[in-house]
Amino acid sequence: MNAGLNLVLAASAALFAVGAFALVARRSAVLMLIGTQFMFMAGCMAFVAFARFGLGAVNATSGAAAAIFAGATAVAELAVGLALAALIFRQHRSLAVDADRG
Amino acid sequence: MLLIGALPQPITSAPLVILIYAVLVLMVASALASVLLRNTLYAIGAFAATMVLVALLYLTIAPFLLFAVQLLVFTTVSAALLVGLLQQTAGLDSTQEPFSREWIIGAAVAAALLALLVVVVATTSWPIRLTANAGPGFGATLTNSYIVGLAVLVVILASAALGSGLLLAAPTLPSPRGGGSTRLPSPRGGGSTSPSTRPRGPRR
Repeated sequence: MNAGLNLVLAASAALFAVGAFALVARRSAVLMLIGTQFMFMAGCMAFVAFARFGLGAVNATSGAAAAIFAGATAVAELAVGLALAALIFRQHRSLAVDADRG
Repeated sequence: MLLIGALPQPITSAPLVILIYAVLVLMVASALASVLLRNTLYAIGAFAATMVLVALLYLTIAPFLLFAVQLLVFTTVSAALLVGLLQQTAGLDSTQEPFSREWIIGAAVAAALLALLVVVVATTSWPIRLTANAGPGFGATLTNSYIVGLAVLVVILASAALGSGLLLAAPTLPSPRGGGSTRLPSPRGGGSTSPSTRPRGPRR
């Protein structure tokens, strides 16, 4: 038994699918943003896995650098998304993104 | 490309392999729990647990700095932002029925994406790195090779912080259906009582 590229990529794919499920199936803005975070994290994991096990980079730290950048961008996206969710709540007293449908 | 050093091999140390398997299984399970839990606070807790487990994975296969940043910055900032939003809003329980039409569509989309990714991962022969040069340290790589990227990242984060602050400080716009701002005081001293801003039940 060993742990290699395919194992981490499979887990990354599962995490990406969970995030996509949250984005499509849930109406709460908070849970949708959590789903996007999962999708970002899945991409970061793939970067790190390719840097550790694959051809992905000239040196072994480039994948980690890409993961840092993607993670920070995800946090920035989360901050803006949560501010928008707060505005939705002020307007509709609900965190549901389809609250305007009545 | 010249072959320098050993080929990167999969991890074969039994305790480390068991740890990686456990971390990955727990990570996917906690992510699923975060998505499926009806209580938003519990969902945020499961989300934070997922982030911590990703950090543990980084500890085994990535530079230590990435583990530290993931654990101390990304996890805490994300969880703090989510909990901060919950403090501004009310109610934690969802009333969305499980196995509703949205859930079925979401499950179908997620299953299709998972199947596509699994097929790609299983059928592709990923190239392995031919050189195993140690290279410079992670911090040196960040500050030397990616200095422009770091500068852009600082601009992005500052813009996000500024934009979020402005959004939160801005007055709420009137609803197109005739409602007013929920921040204006009503004659009784409470919030706006227009129909579009009146609470309509806990639809979350």
